[in-house]
Amino acid sequence: MTTRRFFFALLGCAGLLATWEILGRYRVLGSTFPTLTEVLRVYANGPKRSLLLRSAAATLRSATIGYGAGACAGALTAILAHLVPVLRRGLDRMAVLVNALPVIALGPVLIITAGRRNTPAALAAVPVFFLLYVSAGIGLRAASRQLGMLFTTLGASRQQRLLKLEAIAALPALLNGMKIAAGSAMIGAIVGEWFGAPGGLGVVVLNSMQNFQIPLLWATVLVIAAVTIGSYGLLDLAERAARRRIG
Amino acid sequence: MAKLALHGVTRSYLRRTGPRGKQPFVALGPLDLQVQEGEFIALIGPSGCGKSTVLHLLAGLDEPTTGDVQINGQPPRQLQAQHALGIAFQEHALLPWRTVDGNLRLPFEVAGLPPPQERIRELIALTGLNGFEHARPAELSGGMRQRVAIARALTLNPKLLLLDEPFGALDAVTRLRLNFELERIWLQSRPTTVMVTHSVEEAVLLADRIIVLTERPGRVRIDIVVPFSRPRSATLMRTPEFHRLADELTAGLAAV
Repeated sequence: MTTRRFFFALLGCAGLLATWEILGRYRVLGSTFPTLTEVLRVYANGPKRSLLLRSAAATLRSATIGYGAGACAGALTAILAHLVPVLRRGLDRMAVLVNALPVIALGPVLIITAGRRNTPAALAAVPVFFLLYVSAGIGLRAASRQLGMLFTTLGASRQQRLLKLEAIAALPALLNGMKIAAGSAMIGAIVGEWFGAPGGLGVVVLNSMQNFQIPLLWATVLVIAAVTIGSYGLLDLAERAARRRIG
Repeated sequence: MAKLALHGVTRSYLRRTGPRGKQPFVALGPLDLQVQEGEFIALIGPSGCGKSTVLHLLAGLDEPTTGDVQINGQPPRQLQAQHALGIAFQEHALLPWRTVDGNLRLPFEVAGLPPPQERIRELIALTGLNGFEHARPAELSGGMRQRVAIARALTLNPKLLLLDEPFGALDAVTRLRLNFELERIWLQSRPTTVMVTHSVEEAVLLADRIIVLTERPGRVRIDIVVPFSRPRSATLMRTPEFHRLADELTAGLAAV
């Protein structure tokens, strides 16, 4: 059954790619829509390939730093709100406010304060912070009422309850948030690069668009999509494993 | 072992009466109840009479609105702090990410004691869980999960054992088998026990004394001593005495 499903998935992908090739070849969508083979040829071209690899490394670095910082800050803030309930309302509002700030408006401010080099990581961190604050908060409240009552009757301390029950029960929701945040971090890093970073996939996207290097533009976008989908897929596997185990 | 005393205990809640209005209503009591050390009490009554509330009050999970609850002359929270309370719920409340062994260790970890492997082995043998030490709750049947939950409630040799319909979710055959098992396990240490149940037969089979509560607000309607000697057996269930007592209790339950 699974092999059959895999076969159909493969067939679907092949159909999609063939459609792309045909649409490009006969210029159905205009002269700016390249064929698949033109795009793939970019990866075979040595200098362009090394440009893409270098840029991908720079973007991944920014996205990872921003992701790590935003995730830690978000999760720690969620733990703080969980342990000190009086702070929760205020922290909730602050997180919503952070999320409401448009990245486009924040960019120039960050260029001045954090600098061109650090802006991509900083812009990656903002949405990750919000997503992790929310998902960790939901996760920390996910343990069933009965398990909570059990810990109370066992005479558990606040710390024991957090470490042996709430933090573990929070993992599936936390990983769900981390999965969604991975894509947001990539978007944040790329938008951050548009404000004048020295390099990165966002810079290549802008340059190739302005220089009418259409296959390079598409090839770059494909790299971005692959990285985003890949990180989403990996974290999805982790989330499923956690759900199987923690339920 | 623990001696329990409830004096004039009531528990009221706020009930929403309209879009704005809220009114207090009494869910339980006033209730007076004394339980001797080592006594096994079964608490039965119609749905919503506050049986589980009584258990929560004894466990220190809830506070009475008026009156007081004492365990050996102290509030229930003292017993929590001494790690001397065992509890089993209708839903097993096992940690799904821990094995049977890991779940049985939890009370020791929380009490800050090194989990003695021999005590855990003994409990596993006592509850017939041999060979399932490393299974996770999801891999066990409903009856086995309840056994683990009861074993866990007994790990620290509690002074007070509270059972909230521990077999309520099981089929009749498994339930009866676990009733006899519970008595056998209970006889090893004889902690003071309060069990909430819906089943009159279960109450007669297991308890030293049965309390029937009235409809809301729950008060003591019947307080009766079960005269049968222990250990009790399946033959007891076929005697006229057993049926007479069960019928009397059922009639008491049905009378409004």
